[in-house]
Amino acid sequence: QVGLQYLSGEVSGGNGRCIAMLLAFREAIKDYSTPPNKTLSRDLTAKVSSYVSFFIECRPLSISMGNAIRFLKNRIAKLPITLSESEAKASLQSDIDRFINEKIVVADQVIVSHAITKVRDDDVLLTYGSSSVVEMILEHAHELGRKFRVIVVDSRPKLEGQGLLRRLVAKGINCTYTHINAVSYIMHEVTRVFLGASSILSNGTVYSRVGTASVAMVAHAFGIPVLVCCEAYKFHERVQLDSICANELGDPDVISKIPGRADLGDLKNWADNENLQLLNLTYDATPSDYVSMIITDYGMLPPTSVPVIVREYRKEQLWV
Amino acid sequence: ELAVGNTVRRVLHIIKEEDISFTAVGIEGLSVTAVSDDECDSGNDDRPTLSAAVLASHARNALRAPSLQTLLDDIPVSTALSHSSSSAGDSDGKTGDKSLKTRKLKHDVIAAIGDLIEEIDTCYDQISEQAVEHIHQNEVILTLGRSRTVKEFLYAAKEKKRSFRVFVAEGAPRYQGHALAKELVEKGIQTTVITDSAVFAMISRVNMVIVGVHAIMANGGVIAPVGMNMVALAAQRHAVPFVVVAGSHKLCPLYPHNPEVLLNELKSPSDLLDFGEFSNCMNFSTQDGTPLLNVANPTFDYVPPKLVSLFITDT
Repeated sequence: QVGLQYLSGEVSGGNGRCIAMLLAFREAIKDYSTPPNKTLSRDLTAKVSSYVSFFIECRPLSISMGNAIRFLKNRIAKLPITLSESEAKASLQSDIDRFINEKIVVADQVIVSHAITKVRDDDVLLTYGSSSVVEMILEHAHELGRKFRVIVVDSRPKLEGQGLLRRLVAKGINCTYTHINAVSYIMHEVTRVFLGASSILSNGTVYSRVGTASVAMVAHAFGIPVLVCCEAYKFHERVQLDSICANELGDPDVISKIPGRADLGDLKNWADNENLQLLNLTYDATPSDYVSMIITDYGMLPPTSVPVIVREYRKEQLWV
Repeated sequence: ELAVGNTVRRVLHIIKEEDISFTAVGIEGLSVTAVSDDECDSGNDDRPTLSAAVLASHARNALRAPSLQTLLDDIPVSTALSHSSSSAGDSDGKTGDKSLKTRKLKHDVIAAIGDLIEEIDTCYDQISEQAVEHIHQNEVILTLGRSRTVKEFLYAAKEKKRSFRVFVAEGAPRYQGHALAKELVEKGIQTTVITDSAVFAMISRVNMVIVGVHAIMANGGVIAPVGMNMVALAAQRHAVPFVVVAGSHKLCPLYPHNPEVLLNELKSPSDLLDFGEFSNCMNFSTQDGTPLLNVANPTFDYVPPKLVSLFITDT
């Protein structure tokens, strides 16, 4: 059921998907009962794997989800055999809850408290797409009474920025809205750029929504600091050089249809023509030299310290 | 509109040129008559001085940039000569001469303007001829939006049997990339349409970026459809050549001092946001009366000259 939600795009955003997935796992564990003649840990691991492949079919996993699944499997494998079934299930459920709480909810609050120090009065902040962490930062800063303007940059095909825009304006924050082509035009007014990330790779490359790289590049060309906000559980030890090696392809039909502009139906029958293709990338990789600073729940770091965190985090995971 | 300004300047230049060549012919004609006058009235001192004055005033007029009004409105230049009564006959002759002159001038100017129009129309052919040198086999080309010059360029390369692929970035908010993709596909060119946000992701796989522009400034900078600066920066980062194709009528003698603001037009926000959906955000109830929501929709982008690798024009 959660898988269907991913497919329809209702649940989107790295944190949202991860939390929804973990909650679904929790439910599944609650309803689970060990078949006879099998050990709990092995069977449960197999069951979890089958759930995961179902999720993958609905929509490829995000890196945060991958990390969470690894954590879960780790915990299942570590269960002492002596525990009874109900105790084991209870402990797993509490582990999941703790993971969600520590790594996501509390982490977000820590990030917000760090980032608030970077928002000053009369700032003009630029953000791209819709990131849950950045939204929290902006709302919190506004509650604290800082006076600033926000520029929301959006792009096709998802147009996530519109949702963010609506929520920010509802809170009373002064906003400007443009599309990604206009970043060069608007960048001379901006003082800081806040970006969210789906994941941060081991060489400091930021892997996030397609278009983020362009925004970071233009900001760098204008000499404006780029701050990426990301929880630590999203870090990954993989390395990627550019955006094409490993990416997710979205639905190409979305490119041909432009909502609200019915007159531009040039690409309606694109599938009939063998020479024409539509490419809809979901993610892209921002090189680390465009990023000034990464804000995580472990503090504020330069992109070069990411492998350190990855190492620390892996170790800590074993003891959580 | 910059290209229009350029064309107007060229037309004015043509008119002045035609007039100068005309008066040069006139001066020669006049010196011939002066000489003949001299021969006729050997003993008369007035005549030579008069003809000298005539010659001098004509030379003066030719050297001064003649105002369009005097040329086209048939105001007699010879009012400067009216101080001499004996020149009355001369001035009459000259006024008659003058109207004939202006008519011929107009005819020449119209012919020259016709040449200019033809030159602008055929610039695509001349630019496309150079296409073969730049596009080789199995190349991948990126372009943004839709430019007729680029289209003709790519057609010409296809005619010469070069095999290449094209990535077309949409070019929001006008989405002209879609129309260009359709046209390219009809000619049998392999095309892929991508969103503008994916330009950075794809540029590492691209051999060359070819774009058409709105105007070229005197410092080599370029006024292009919005989003081009992003593409140019990405191309520079990945060491991909950024080639600009444009007819020579787009070259402007102006310098861009504050190009983002001065040379730009902001179009309607309705391209970006639906009015109805966001009408509840447009309340003016804040204390200082500024609306909470602004929408910026610029038409053009400025690309600094150091990001452009090559200009291809029709000269």
